[in-house]
Amino acid sequence: MSSFRQPSVLPGFGLTFGFAMFYLSAIVLIPLAALVLKAGTLPWSEFWHVVTDPRSVASYRLSFGASLLAASVNAVFGFIIAWTLVRYEFPGRKIIDALIDMPFALPTAVSGIALTAVFAQNGWIGRYLEPLGIKVAYTWIGVTVALTLIGLPFVVRSLQPALQEVQSDLEDAAETLGAGRFYIFRRIVLPTVMPALLTGFALAFARAVGEYGSVIFIAGNLPMKTEITPLLIVIRLEEFDYRAAAALGFVTLVISFLLLLSINLLQAWGRRWMVAGGR
Amino acid sequence: MSITLDQVTKRYQGVPVVNDVSLDVREGEFFVLLGPSGSGKSTLLRAIAGLTGVDHGRISLHGRDVTNVSARQRGVGLVFQNYALFRHMTVAENIEFALRVRRMRARERRERRKELLRLVALEGLDDRLPTQLSGGQQQRIAVARALAHKPEVLLLDEPFGALDAKIREELRRTIRQVQRELRISTVLVTHDQQEAFALADRIGVMNLGRLLETAPPDELYARPTTRFVATFLGAANLLLARQTPDGIRLGAAPVDVPGAERIDNRREHEVVAVLRPEEAELAPTPEALASSYIARGTVDEVVFTGALERIRIRLDDRAAAQLIGPENNPDVGMLEASRTQREQRMFPLAPGGRVAIGMRRIHVLPTPLSSFTALAAEASQAGDLGRHPFLVNLAARMRTRVSVRVEPALAAPAGAGRVSRVEPAGVAVLASAPGVLEQLEWLLRQGVTEVLILPPPPLNPQRVLIHWLDRFARGGTMAVAASLLRHIAAEAVYLGIMPAGTPDSERSLGIRELLDARSEAQAMHSLEMRTELRTGDSAAELAAQLKESPEPMLILGIAAVGQLRERFAAIFAGAPTRPILVVYRPVPGGSRA
Repeated sequence: MSSFRQPSVLPGFGLTFGFAMFYLSAIVLIPLAALVLKAGTLPWSEFWHVVTDPRSVASYRLSFGASLLAASVNAVFGFIIAWTLVRYEFPGRKIIDALIDMPFALPTAVSGIALTAVFAQNGWIGRYLEPLGIKVAYTWIGVTVALTLIGLPFVVRSLQPALQEVQSDLEDAAETLGAGRFYIFRRIVLPTVMPALLTGFALAFARAVGEYGSVIFIAGNLPMKTEITPLLIVIRLEEFDYRAAAALGFVTLVISFLLLLSINLLQAWGRRWMVAGGR
Repeated sequence: MSITLDQVTKRYQGVPVVNDVSLDVREGEFFVLLGPSGSGKSTLLRAIAGLTGVDHGRISLHGRDVTNVSARQRGVGLVFQNYALFRHMTVAENIEFALRVRRMRARERRERRKELLRLVALEGLDDRLPTQLSGGQQQRIAVARALAHKPEVLLLDEPFGALDAKIREELRRTIRQVQRELRISTVLVTHDQQEAFALADRIGVMNLGRLLETAPPDELYARPTTRFVATFLGAANLLLARQTPDGIRLGAAPVDVPGAERIDNRREHEVVAVLRPEEAELAPTPEALASSYIARGTVDEVVFTGALERIRIRLDDRAAAQLIGPENNPDVGMLEASRTQREQRMFPLAPGGRVAIGMRRIHVLPTPLSSFTALAAEASQAGDLGRHPFLVNLAARMRTRVSVRVEPALAAPAGAGRVSRVEPAGVAVLASAPGVLEQLEWLLRQGVTEVLILPPPPLNPQRVLIHWLDRFARGGTMAVAASLLRHIAAEAVYLGIMPAGTPDSERSLGIRELLDARSEAQAMHSLEMRTELRTGDSAAELAAQLKESPEPMLILGIAAVGQLRERFAAIFAGAPTRPILVVYRPVPGGSRA
């Protein structure tokens, strides 16, 4: 253990390291292991049957597809919001800044009900989309809208410090070298904040995959159509089919892990120029 | 001229950070803008680069007016203190950035890059990332990058600020070499005088947004014209001396001053003399001095600094009274001297030792404002006036002192005769009160030539109005205004006032005089002032202007005491609410006094 022990100004490395490992185990690893074990009690053929059931597969597609789409939408609009908040001084900026955190604080069921009210066929916005042939509530679009709402703060909050840090000197330098605004944005600003943007994207995505409360109201929960994986798991639990629920949970876990891992790798690659000691 | 600035002004929230700066940088010249932080030098550099717009004035590069041209199209190279390299790009990509923007072909880009890397002596580092380089190397890359598009001028904003001493020296040499090789006109901004001396063909010193002096380094060091430059460039002891008809006297001792030609020596007045530490000679007795003796003192502190020894000497009382710097604390009376190793061996010194001080060379500043004396009829009033924040602040900025004097005659100046005790010494300061005009007249009759009238605080002049009544007062008023405006961040406006009903033929004469005054102020006193021409009664116009301008101050030049009452009574009626500085330059021969 002493081989990877680093001298530090904070004392008690052994104690804190032990506590961190215990805490991580108790809160994260053991429950996850229990999930895997529970899923393992299912015979292989039955496990395979549960996880490849067309209804399950449709739910994966919706859950992960809508989550990725929502995170992408957030990456774009969250960037614009963060940029506006960081770079411009306008009346009410502090209020808007505070509003960004609202989806964090709101019980998700409340946001689900609110969204349904707005986007239902006779809702404030839904009634104008209806004649255009766009149905939001009770379709995959509604699911995406709900997931976008709850993921927004993650992107904005990850980007804000990074954007603040982009030295205006860099932009000034690029300008004196003859670069136009769009060129500066594409070649200087965007690459510099890319790691933060990816972090925000990953957080928003992870949150969306696990989201349940806000989605079930607006989704309508039609099997094969608007049923998300978390809901399917709850349905199995209500049928007292714990092993099937655990099997679905296991699949969700694996896919999420793989996606987050690849985002992290992408991020590490994007940060390769930020080596220690660099200014 | 490669860079021409004409009356460039930049304000932030109404406060001028760059104040009426005019400057010509010659073709291929290495120009250094030197000043303390907050002096506006970096803002001026950004204005030249086009990253900051200006509120007033024009900027041209090689004769092309670029005042309204964006930074993109100005064709300047800019180097930042923190390098501002693009960290996600390799050295090669960084250097080629400007070329890629200009869609240059890959082969040409590569050739240019190789050439630039050779120029900054960093061949072979093409594929490194900036974070893999040392600070010095990064700054060299930044220089190479700034030169890639063959800019017309190179601008450097404190490029050595983040580097340690040794690398600094090396990089300094590289930049000088590159600049010589390319013969590119260069402006470097720094607060470090060593750097300025090492690099500059010419130095311009800035303070409070103004460009105070521009000259080659040696000249600027030997013959500064302002107090600020004298003390900012190297160490300087400032001494109050007297200009008399027979020459300069320091205390009782006559002083031989070589470069005194620019000083107004027609009248007796106080002047400020600069004694560099290395020009002070130390010996056991006055007789042993090779140069002219000025004072005795006791060694307070000896500091060994390698080649030189720095000594602080506490002057004996009478001489200490003459010393106003470097400490800006008249009670301390410490003189700084420095000696070479050879001098140390010949006359070793330790704290407590007694020495006689001589001066080998002294430079007299051609500044008309030397020190301030707060005057009042009663001790408490005089004391309060001496602590007036505006006065204390101004004196601190001018590195001079405020003395306080009780003058009972001021209580009833009309009846008081001539009092021989009031000798003209610097600027007399009066508190604004009803009857201040009588006090003012009395003081001027005693031989005082500058009187500052201060209303109660807070005072923060933003606009200094300048007016003189008589051509005799013109030069003196301009010199006083220039001297004062170097120390307060306000804009200068010369008001020319013609009597109402002036025929058109004389009007053009008036305008010509106005323009002459402006160019004279610029040429003789490096004072940039705006001019306004009005018609009407002088006093009424001035009073109106004082009332309308936000936070104004007035500098009024007269050539006869009687003119105050005849022409300007309205300004002094009641108690003036604005600060007024009266400059009195009597007509030679006194025919009109």
